[in-house]
Amino acid sequence: MTSTSFTGRPRRRLTRRSVRISERVARVLISIGGLGTILAVTGILVFLVWVVVPLFSSAQFEAGSRADVAALATDSQDRRPLAIGIDEYQLVGWALRADGRLTSFRVDTGESLEDRELVAGSQLTASSFSVEGDAVSLGFADGTFRQGRLGFSTEFVSGEEHPELVAKLAGGPLARDGNTLVQLTPEGQLRVQRLAVEFDAPLATGGASRVVRIDHSTRGSSGYVCALDADGRLFVEEVERRQNLLTGEVTSTASQHQLPYAHDPARGAPAFLALGGGGDVVYLAWRDGLCQRYDARDLADVRLAEEVDLAEGSAELTALAFLIGKSTLITGDSEGRVRGWFTTKPAGATTSDGSTLVLAHELGDGGAAVSALSASSRNRVVAVGRVDGRFEVYHVTSGDRLAAARTPDESALSGIAIAPKEDGLVTLGGVHAAHWRMDLRHPEAGLTALFSPVWYEGYEKPEHVWQSSSGTDDFEPKLGLVPLIFGTLKATLYSMLFAVPIALAAAVYTSEFLSPRLRAPLKSLTEMMASLPSVVLGFLAAIVIAPFAQDVVPMLLASVVTIPGALLLGAYVWQLLPAHYAVRFSGKTRFAAIFFALPCGALAAAIVGPLLERLLFAGDFLAWLDGQSGSRFGGWVLLGLPAAGALVLFAMSRFVNPAVRRISASWSRARCARFDLAKFAAAVVATGAVACAIAFVLDGLWIDPRGSVLDTYVQRNALIVGFVMGFAVIPIVYTLAEDALSSVPSHLRLAALGAGATPWQTAVRVVIPTAMSGLFSAVMIGLGRAVGETMIVLMATGNTPVMSWNMFNGFRTLSANIAVELPEAAQNSTHYRTLFLAALCLFAMTFVFNTIAEVIRQRFRKRAYQL
Amino acid sequence: MSALLEKAALRPKPTLKRQRKARRATSLFAHGEPLVWLTGGALALSVSMIVGLLGLVIYQGGSTFWPIDVVRVDRTSAGPLMGEVAVDETYRPESSAFAALAADAATRARADVDARGGVERRRMLRTGNYDLTGTHFNWVSDFEIGSETRPDWALVVERTSWGRFYGVPCAFLVDGETRANDPAEIWKLYDEQHGPARERFSKRYRLEQHDMARENRTLDDARLALRAVEIAHGKNSPEFATADREFSATQARLQERFVAIGNEIQSLNAENARFKLELETADGARAKLDVAEIVRAYPANQLTWSQKVGVYFSRWGEFLTDVPREANSEGGVFPAIFGTVVMTLVMSILVVPFGVLAALYLREYAKPGLLVSTVRIAVNNLAGVPSIVFGVFGLGFFCYILGSSIDGLLFAERLPNPTFGKGGLLWAALTLALLTLPVVIVATEEALAAVPGSMREGSYACGATKWQTIQRIVLPRALPGIMTGMILAIARGAGEVAPLMLVGAVKLAHDLALDTQLPFLHPERSFMHLGFHIYDLGFQSQNSEAAKPMVYTTTLLLIGIIVVLNVAAIGVRTRLRRRFLANQF
Repeated sequence: MTSTSFTGRPRRRLTRRSVRISERVARVLISIGGLGTILAVTGILVFLVWVVVPLFSSAQFEAGSRADVAALATDSQDRRPLAIGIDEYQLVGWALRADGRLTSFRVDTGESLEDRELVAGSQLTASSFSVEGDAVSLGFADGTFRQGRLGFSTEFVSGEEHPELVAKLAGGPLARDGNTLVQLTPEGQLRVQRLAVEFDAPLATGGASRVVRIDHSTRGSSGYVCALDADGRLFVEEVERRQNLLTGEVTSTASQHQLPYAHDPARGAPAFLALGGGGDVVYLAWRDGLCQRYDARDLADVRLAEEVDLAEGSAELTALAFLIGKSTLITGDSEGRVRGWFTTKPAGATTSDGSTLVLAHELGDGGAAVSALSASSRNRVVAVGRVDGRFEVYHVTSGDRLAAARTPDESALSGIAIAPKEDGLVTLGGVHAAHWRMDLRHPEAGLTALFSPVWYEGYEKPEHVWQSSSGTDDFEPKLGLVPLIFGTLKATLYSMLFAVPIALAAAVYTSEFLSPRLRAPLKSLTEMMASLPSVVLGFLAAIVIAPFAQDVVPMLLASVVTIPGALLLGAYVWQLLPAHYAVRFSGKTRFAAIFFALPCGALAAAIVGPLLERLLFAGDFLAWLDGQSGSRFGGWVLLGLPAAGALVLFAMSRFVNPAVRRISASWSRARCARFDLAKFAAAVVATGAVACAIAFVLDGLWIDPRGSVLDTYVQRNALIVGFVMGFAVIPIVYTLAEDALSSVPSHLRLAALGAGATPWQTAVRVVIPTAMSGLFSAVMIGLGRAVGETMIVLMATGNTPVMSWNMFNGFRTLSANIAVELPEAAQNSTHYRTLFLAALCLFAMTFVFNTIAEVIRQRFRKRAYQL
Repeated sequence: MSALLEKAALRPKPTLKRQRKARRATSLFAHGEPLVWLTGGALALSVSMIVGLLGLVIYQGGSTFWPIDVVRVDRTSAGPLMGEVAVDETYRPESSAFAALAADAATRARADVDARGGVERRRMLRTGNYDLTGTHFNWVSDFEIGSETRPDWALVVERTSWGRFYGVPCAFLVDGETRANDPAEIWKLYDEQHGPARERFSKRYRLEQHDMARENRTLDDARLALRAVEIAHGKNSPEFATADREFSATQARLQERFVAIGNEIQSLNAENARFKLELETADGARAKLDVAEIVRAYPANQLTWSQKVGVYFSRWGEFLTDVPREANSEGGVFPAIFGTVVMTLVMSILVVPFGVLAALYLREYAKPGLLVSTVRIAVNNLAGVPSIVFGVFGLGFFCYILGSSIDGLLFAERLPNPTFGKGGLLWAALTLALLTLPVVIVATEEALAAVPGSMREGSYACGATKWQTIQRIVLPRALPGIMTGMILAIARGAGEVAPLMLVGAVKLAHDLALDTQLPFLHPERSFMHLGFHIYDLGFQSQNSEAAKPMVYTTTLLLIGIIVVLNVAAIGVRTRLRRRFLANQF
């Protein structure tokens, strides 16, 4: 077929099939590839968000089965449950009754599996259970106590070997076999759950009367039991447990220490006894809220440390439990308040151990009286049951309410227990047992925990803390991102303070004053510096620069003043040159002279630095920073210097210079130059004097500069990072700024010069304002680089997540933190997701800076185009 | 230009007669000379910063392999030391520093030091002999020194383990019998025996590292095959029984091979054990060193200039081609160079096609509008995203999600040991490809934009289709620009370390990612990287002082590679520009 073209002549040739096909294929491929690549790139952001989002998702909570446990009757006091528990598969629960019998039951049906006397032949009068693990201690009417373990033993058997069990399972996945519960697992094995109870031989408490309250704790290899008997005697028993390696026989011995507890018959016996983790603190609490805390660090000399009211007003203390770690006390009272208490060590404490019990957390907004409390064995999570059948689950540190529900029959809850894996909960109200499934997700990392101050256990006040791991088990991860964001900002601030003025000034000089022949090689050299691997910079910072800098801190600080000083002095001397020489040498020679001024400035710093150190800082600047020696005066001089400089500069430009300009109109060039030199000398002297005056005033006010931006010197610190990061940031800012300056159309420059402006006036009043947005975008790009830089900060800071503006101290940035911790974080753990959040924060910060830069650059381009 | 104008402005104007006093055209203050100097100072400072930094690296990296003299220092208060001077500096000794000296010597020394303003010179000697003394380095202050000599026959011995040894040869032993006592004779015997002994040593090394490892791998593969059958058919199936029999046969066969290789290694070891060099250290202790364990030995104080050059280049040769030893602080960095190169190559193979496709789409196919400019902003933005964020993405997505899925599908028999589900070469290359993608896209787009529209129009006018135009006209002209982008991407990729720490760079990788084993390229293996090597040595090394020379040389090498790549990019760019200039007319 032929088609007709617009000329009217038939087209003789057709496009070859292969060409058409390849055209189409190319279009499709390129579109798919191109769009796919771009999509893949946005996928990064999507993926990060996808990993982070579960951190903020709320806990899942749903009702499971409910059943009546016949073995527990509410009518009789004896059958009232003292404590309940549940196994890790949430199939079997147990309850210890007041009559000393232990009953285990199926959670789904309430069917009783086993009902036995916990310890045969003795009358149980007190009991205590561990928060973590399955240790138990029991007190008896005859004044003895026993330690033991109450838990579950799980056994896996194969169905082939036990056909009788398989037969029982015909009706469903669960079946009772004697006093055990058998479950068919998805892997085809049979899991046999059995209550495991084991007790050591009884030990005497030291008195023969009934044990009323008991609690236990461990420190290292020795265990402690605290027992109160009916005669009002309080003992701490140090229990040594030895296992014979051959026979497996366990022998325990106890040594008694009686505590100076005075029984007050009017008040009665305390309702609660709690022995802190490590056995070094004993709490006694009465119904009316009085709590006595005994300092038992030295068992031979136990003292009453303090008395605190745990329930103000008319409220009655109704429940008390330890959180995991046995340091935080959770109390519940008759007014429905649930509160967390722990000891802190404030500076002015008057107690014998220097610490006081403080109310750190108020959980929830109250409600009906608290009747049951149970802490999780994994986390700082506590379940609270109330008399109206409501219950809640709280994360104590953050104070967040994770879940809340109400039992259908609204009976008062007598027991509540969190499953060992924290994935379920069992409540007991009367004879009604209810099972609830839950998924707490990431309770320790909510928005508040990540970004606002949190009151961690043992801290004096709410603080921002990042401490993601530790050696101990009951350690609480502290995931405050603020110290890391602070570190990132500190690194950025100090490096930008150093890099931006230098980069911009260097760009101005390059584009406006440097001879063109030098321009190209210098520019390529600086561009090359931009691709210098940052690991090299980090290594040099850590190995070479930081140790060197530590020896010459005064000189370095002095060089901040002397190097610009030397340059200015050079300029004023240069002005003394007759005009025609000045013009002739304004190219390379002047640059060479400038180059010469640098080492002169450094040399001056080497002389002045130690001199000032001797004058102002008692001869040792580092010791002065440490607060060991010297007066406040020197520090204020140091800090006052920039302010004084700015003040003098302002005075000069506002008052002196206009006057000088008026009177110098008729002066010769040489006279002007000499006057200028004198003015410079005067300014230097004035700056020093003003700084001293500022220092004198502030010193007189007894304010110490140490503790702010000046404080103890650490070898790897913000100054080092600022300096070395300059190597990474200066080239970028310089290149972009220079591009922006040189793309200012030359006709503007020529017009300004033609109108009589000097090159400096042209640069400052014409070129820089025109290129301003380009310069700003250059700074923004540099900022983005500084924020995300990893290797330099990783190697050249101490990586300590502290929050202080001290320029001689280290910090930890988001990026370094990710590099250090992510390889060790378990996939999908809270820590892992928090590190992803850190990455997302970095992404967001750089995104903001880069977008600002980009938008401004687009505007700049448009404007430059119009010119 | 500006200088000329300035000159014109400053030249005294022809004065009119009426005006008695010549008004100055411009006040001196208007020149802002001090501020110009400040800006110039900033430029000078940044130039001297980079020159100083490069100079430091070049000096330290270039000089560390140069053999220096061995000094023997007899101290007045403690035993003698012998070694190379590693650091030479001055310090202010505390009064406790003199405590070790005898009373009168201490007073004299203190007086001497005080006379010099309290400043004293001290040197750090690399005394080696770690197996005898437990230290690598010793500080010695000048006031402690009784006499200082340079013994003729002080040998520097670099060993395969325990670091360097410094001593004077006192015997050469063959089969436990002393063959020579005179240093010159010993040296001659050593020279004769060292070559063959080293050959045997490297043969043994090959046997251990290659042959033995190969058999081990075969055994592993057989075990995994068995496990695969078990997963597929179950343990009680007939297939498993057959596979089990096969496995036992393989195991038996390999056992024989192991014994054979073991015997060969034994005989080589026995032969090597015959030759020993006995050295006496400065403090009189004697040590017998296996000749085969000596990498390099030379009498430092007798070397001629050409011999020094020989030692220097032999060290560089070892550095570039050998594997690391002594926790990476000695030996070579060949695996790191290799890892860097292979990783960068894989990265560029991945990044260039996709980068070019994306750029082609943006520049040639997509309709310009809001979408395209948004995408362009996004791409530019991506160039500024911190590299560690890419590392986080790489670990989370590539290793943990993609890799684990691959493991589950293809390598189920190796579970729970991850194959792809951990950091590896492929994931590192992919991560860096994402990181460098914006560089390639931006460079390619610029190159495409620089192709004059007239050429495209000419092509269309001749009846070419869009793809033909792109293929034959646009791409060839844009090729240098694309090359520039690629080289810049490689330079960035080669120097990036932070993401690699998360996705696969390791301290020591025994197996290279590319070897003679099928399928030759092993993208799942961890690898060594020059940048990570620097981080690890400089920052995490136990003996950072001994590792210092190594870090400097590695740094020099890395900077060298990157500078060469950059210079190449600049070269390509200038050629490109020239070509376009030529085409303008």
